[in-house]
Amino acid sequence: MLNKLAFRNMKRSAKDYLIYILTMTVVTALMYSFNSLFFQNELAASFMTNGVDVMTVMIGLATVFILLITAWLIHYMIRFMLEKRSSEFGLYLLLGMKKKAVARLYIRENLLLGTASFFLGILLGVLLQQILFSILFSMVRMEYHLQISLNPWTILTTFLLYAACYLLSLGRCRRKFKRMNIYSLMNAKRQNEEIREKHEGGKRILLPLSIAGILMFWAVFEKLSNTLEIMLFLIGLVVSIYLFYAGLSAWIICYVRKKGRGIYRGQNLFLLRQFASKVRTMQFTMGTLTSLFTLALLGASIALMFNDYENTVLEDKYPFDVQIYSADTEEDFAEERAVLEADTTVTGYYSYHIYTDEADQVNTWMLTHLDAWRERYCNADGSPNRTDIEKMLRTEGVYYPYDTYMGLTDYNHLRQMIGLEEIQMSAEEYLVQIKPRLYSEIQEIGGDLQIADGTGERMLKLREIVDDFFSQDGHNGADYLIIVPDAVLERMHPYYSELVVQTKGEIPMGLEDRLDALAGGSRYDLENMDEFYDELDEFMEGDYITDPDLCAGSDMIVVNASVNPVRENLIPEVKYLLSSVILPLFYMGLVFVCVAVTVLSVQQLSDSAKYKFRYDVLAKLGCGRSRIRLLILQQLAAYYLCPAILAIIISGRMILFVSRAFVTMTGVPAAAGSFFLRSILLFFGIYLVYFVVTYAGFKRNVEEKGQRMTG
Amino acid sequence: MNHSPDYIRVCEVEKYYGTDANVTKAVDRVSFCVEKGEFVGVMGASGSGKSTLLNMLATIDRVTAGHIYYESVDITELSEDALSEFRKKNLGFVFQDYNLLDTLTIEENIILALTLQGGKRDAIQESCREILKLLGIEEIREKFPYQVSGGQKQRCACARALINHPRLLLADEPTGALDSKSAQTLLETFTELNQRMEATILMVTHDAFSASYCGRILFLKDGKLFHELVRGDKSRRVFLQEILDVLSLTGGELTDAE
Repeated sequence: MLNKLAFRNMKRSAKDYLIYILTMTVVTALMYSFNSLFFQNELAASFMTNGVDVMTVMIGLATVFILLITAWLIHYMIRFMLEKRSSEFGLYLLLGMKKKAVARLYIRENLLLGTASFFLGILLGVLLQQILFSILFSMVRMEYHLQISLNPWTILTTFLLYAACYLLSLGRCRRKFKRMNIYSLMNAKRQNEEIREKHEGGKRILLPLSIAGILMFWAVFEKLSNTLEIMLFLIGLVVSIYLFYAGLSAWIICYVRKKGRGIYRGQNLFLLRQFASKVRTMQFTMGTLTSLFTLALLGASIALMFNDYENTVLEDKYPFDVQIYSADTEEDFAEERAVLEADTTVTGYYSYHIYTDEADQVNTWMLTHLDAWRERYCNADGSPNRTDIEKMLRTEGVYYPYDTYMGLTDYNHLRQMIGLEEIQMSAEEYLVQIKPRLYSEIQEIGGDLQIADGTGERMLKLREIVDDFFSQDGHNGADYLIIVPDAVLERMHPYYSELVVQTKGEIPMGLEDRLDALAGGSRYDLENMDEFYDELDEFMEGDYITDPDLCAGSDMIVVNASVNPVRENLIPEVKYLLSSVILPLFYMGLVFVCVAVTVLSVQQLSDSAKYKFRYDVLAKLGCGRSRIRLLILQQLAAYYLCPAILAIIISGRMILFVSRAFVTMTGVPAAAGSFFLRSILLFFGIYLVYFVVTYAGFKRNVEEKGQRMTG
Repeated sequence: MNHSPDYIRVCEVEKYYGTDANVTKAVDRVSFCVEKGEFVGVMGASGSGKSTLLNMLATIDRVTAGHIYYESVDITELSEDALSEFRKKNLGFVFQDYNLLDTLTIEENIILALTLQGGKRDAIQESCREILKLLGIEEIREKFPYQVSGGQKQRCACARALINHPRLLLADEPTGALDSKSAQTLLETFTELNQRMEATILMVTHDAFSASYCGRILFLKDGKLFHELVRGDKSRRVFLQEILDVLSLTGGELTDAE
């Protein structure tokens, strides 16, 4: 009998809480597909770093957060349904059911509900996993064969995670039951409906206070320097968010009480009161939702940044199939050639020198004019700070302390190899070859450089600045190359040797490592993520990079890993690493948004009985059907938009700051605001789906059985 | 029948529920008229169709056949939107369960009825103050419905219903949820409104005591109109006895009569 009752109740709840089930299904599906990354061996084996698969670590980390949030959702829903149905449970008790039996009944119902969405979720997850894998594999340029199969380990992991969420929340629910008595159960609903308005005038101050808190956050955000400050700051921010809602509802209530002008217009009075009372009873939840939205927006924006980098800059960054460096100017690259010929089909070599005049006028110019460094290496009057520049060039690990030059013949030969047009210039001219992202910053360079011609008597004139991708991370110079007529090189001497190789067909995995081994190891071990992030942190905190082994030119966010980039090896490797940041961020963002919107939707839908009554009253007061629909829309919109807009305002500051830095440092061809806009769009896409479903359900509930009088 | 002074005319109204196989006639060919300034009661046992009749008069339920005229307007011919417009301008409602909005204070419940009509701020404040005073609920204007007694709630509902000076005030078991003292006060208020403001009132009730405040009573049974009582110059006590006599003849409910 109990089973039957539980099943029936579950079926009824399923109708009321469809959105909750949908979300749990989606969360299970996401969990399943991302957990499956733990158990795929192909990718992990190919891109293992020091025996650790970075992806596994990152997904694992994301899973912890997702677990917490999902447990919160389940806990929230279980408590919420319990409140909504308390009079029903009171009735069971009144009929003589034991408290234990009622608790068991409720738990059984929830388990049924959970099991249903778990199985639905696994089905959806299998599909989702195929999509995820085919995206990931094509990203790292490996072939993926669609295989619809269930991995028992993945299912088991997903199940354990899912069950953990449930157990956490159900345990608390049992305790709650123990403390309840029939009377309080049967009256629980009535108690919730009371509107307590006390000290509203005083509480009103919270709104300006919290707004001031958020404004302060805008102002000081960039100046935070240590962990303690950041912690204090975050606590303050979270408190501001929570207080905002308490203040907002108090403010509206005071406005209505003061009989402000606005309440005398149409249905405003109804809307304002409705909104204020909802926010009042939900202020804590609203605060939590805002925080979740903020995190989701942040995560999605950062993921989009890296994704953009992957798809634009990274694809073009390495125009040559293989590029090999040697500090030895006499190098003949015989060993490298042997390795290459053994492993690949080489279609062409070109070996050449980069020259230098052992001066640093161009380096100095860069240090004093590029955005990344200008402030640090200029004196107050704008002249170069020689001491710091010397120190930087000699001791702080730049690729090349002296300026780097290339002859026009070599330059044109290399351009031809990568399918670029040759450039003609006279013996009195020179070119600057620069990374695309720095192009706009060096427009003034022609007026400042003094480069003598072959005779050493006349100065060359700048012909043009070229910004094609040209392997300028320490190979063809770091950031820049000065291209001069061949005759000029006679005054200089070779700085280092380079070999570029063109190949045909497939490149085996690991070629890059073998080439690097010949040169005596990696210049900087990017794959050691800790170190990488430490450096990144230092950069973010304004200390810039101090590691003498790290030579990054002015690229800061994503740094080249190997001495000798083999394009077909390097791009997938970097992409896999980036994916291990991008995917977990998207994963978290999606789950956070879904969870938050679910709470909003369920709140509204389950209250629709109460709203039905209110709208019926309005109908009797002469509100037409279309006007009531408009009212519902306005009410839902206000309720949905409030946390979203607050989250956008808060996260906007952080995202714009980070994305500005990201664009400056990686040269992603996008406006800094675009990542923010795109994550808002993505976010609103999900939002809209939930909103439409909620609106439709809400409207149906309110209009059910027409407008009938009671009694 | 004399048509000219008739304010509201109900002609051969029928209302059926259910499908072809199983039809319930909730209201069966009912016709009557209400004159301006009348206080009419509709009595009947549960299921006699009195609430259905009221709902149709209130334009929130459609007739199956027949016509209802408010002066020259036939509301059975109006579209949905026209009906809500009509409702807004012409009708006021008082229900057993008050139908007050719980998120609004007593005063705000009244204000809302006016702002929905698009009135001016000063005019709204003025008429709101008047009606609060008239119904003696000034002191509780700042309170929420859950903070006041049933009688006060019902007076607030009356205030809301009357504030637009409706052509007809429809009351559905207005005393149903009130204690006898509050019920008496409310009915006295109705009488006063009827006499002083010349409000036309149609009240549905199954309680003889409440009905005895009316000027005329229509008795419904099984969806049909079967009797009519007019108070005329009789005292309320005599009228009540007459009502009880009619009810005892028809096996009506006596329990509520005192």
